[in-house]
Amino acid sequence: MNEQKPTGQAIEVRGLVKRYNKEVLALDGVDLSIPANTIYALLGPNGAGKTTSISILTTLLEPTSGTAKVLGLDVVKQAGEVRGRIGVTFQEMVLDDELTGKQVLDYHGRLYGQSKAERQAKIEELLALVELEEAAGRQAKTYSGGMKRRLELARALMTTPEVLFLDEPTLGLDPQTRVRIWDHIRALKKDQGMTMLMTTHYMDEAENLADQVGIIDLGKLVAEGTPQALIEQMGADTIHVTGEGDRAGFAERVKALPFVQTVSVGRTVIQIGVDSGSRRLVEVISEAARNGFAVEDISVSKPSLGDVFLKYTGRRLRDTDGPQAPNRMNLMV
Amino acid sequence: MVATYTLWNKHMRKFLANPEEMFGLLIQPILWVVLFGVGMKSMLAAGTPGSGENYVTFMLPGIVALSALGGAVGGGSVWLTERLRGIVKEYLVAPIPRISILLGNATSTLTKSLFQAIIIVIVGVLIGAKLGPNPLGWLGGLALVALFGLGFSGLSLSMASQTDSPGAYHAMIMIFNLPMLFLSNALYPLSTMPTWMKIGSLINPTTYTIDGVRQMMFRDPVALAGGDPLPLWLCWVVVLAFAVLGMWLAHSAFRKSIK
Repeated sequence: MNEQKPTGQAIEVRGLVKRYNKEVLALDGVDLSIPANTIYALLGPNGAGKTTSISILTTLLEPTSGTAKVLGLDVVKQAGEVRGRIGVTFQEMVLDDELTGKQVLDYHGRLYGQSKAERQAKIEELLALVELEEAAGRQAKTYSGGMKRRLELARALMTTPEVLFLDEPTLGLDPQTRVRIWDHIRALKKDQGMTMLMTTHYMDEAENLADQVGIIDLGKLVAEGTPQALIEQMGADTIHVTGEGDRAGFAERVKALPFVQTVSVGRTVIQIGVDSGSRRLVEVISEAARNGFAVEDISVSKPSLGDVFLKYTGRRLRDTDGPQAPNRMNLMV
Repeated sequence: MVATYTLWNKHMRKFLANPEEMFGLLIQPILWVVLFGVGMKSMLAAGTPGSGENYVTFMLPGIVALSALGGAVGGGSVWLTERLRGIVKEYLVAPIPRISILLGNATSTLTKSLFQAIIIVIVGVLIGAKLGPNPLGWLGGLALVALFGLGFSGLSLSMASQTDSPGAYHAMIMIFNLPMLFLSNALYPLSTMPTWMKIGSLINPTTYTIDGVRQMMFRDPVALAGGDPLPLWLCWVVVLAFAVLGMWLAHSAFRKSIK
């Protein structure tokens, strides 16, 4: 049952700071306000502070300063109550893999105080949901990576949590399994009204699943919004240019062109948001020639959250997955 | 506590599914009893008739203590593995009292140790050790071994909480293994030790465990030969204190490791 205070946010974070060993600043003042029945994606590279954020919200870590509330409950002062109402899947797979799939689910239910009848019912339902019925009697160590992730998801759902935290839910999985897991996640939102906070460094994951995206880098939230709104800021198409020469000067000149919406200068690539990539390619190249900027590589693509990330942080979001949105013509590294 | 029981149950299930683990833990003590014990028995029997069985009776409590030690090391190893594989995170995120995580491990380690202790006693009796007349004494002896195991578990759990390397853990623990056995009255009586050794043995909780077990569970050959066993109440007090100390160490190290 969803009991929330009148302020109504499922997850509420104010000024969250986490410092490890007095030196490493993992989180530098993060604010989050996530309503119920939302899928929120924290998008950022490794080391950005995503796992730290989830660890704090799931009561595994205490913040250095700031407050964090889940379902109106303080994660430090009311940790026990928070634990009873959330589910978590971790980035590294934390299955006790000498147990069978069924035992993993059963022990989880027991730890959360479920009766035997409840457990039996839930196990049956969830094994069907994640399509692991046949493998349920085998030891988890015989499962593939994708099966283990699905089992982890089933485990987190045993107690029908109101808020589900997913830390890199499709890390290292093949494309088919990723899509299946995405389908499960969408169904959870639609059929069970669940609130989900996930962290990811895959932009296609954020684009496909999230209602809201928070871009996090170096412990700070640098941008927030729906995927569409963030991408629309970039223009209809993005032209990516790499080359030698006066990059800053070139960028300035390009920005002044009438059809250019935004320009971001990264470490190796300059990305230019335009209204129509194929029409404007020639003009961008001529502009480069006029400025003594030697173009090494140039390509056009539909903008993505990775481009948004580059715009706000000046760096590329490393993308390690396989086949993506079919309208990308990405010719460069 | 339901959570402690659940974790105990899980550990025991995995243990029973892995007979190799149990077998491995039993090898060392059984070798001591069967090879060393029989060897010594034969050697002594060649001198004075009857002194062979006396020696086996004499040394069996020490080997039982050794197996409890081995069990404790195993318990620490389980904890270390669970920490490194992230299984502990599942416990920490669950709405269970933090202490039941520690107790779940301690109780399952204890159960495994007692199980092994009983097997060692049976093997010893088969080789010729003489049990005492009072079954309550047998229970008392096992209880004492359990407390000793608890104390050592505390030590090993505390070390397992502080390192991330299985190699380092086992190295630290091995330092205790044989010295604990040799610097005690396990294999030879206190009365005949040089003073420095006697002092060392009297600081070693193993000595008190062994003496108590000898008196309660077996026909104590030392007493029968007119030697002076340690006061029984003292044995209980020392071993109890050791158990409390061990658990306290484990608890503090455990709390620090989950910050």
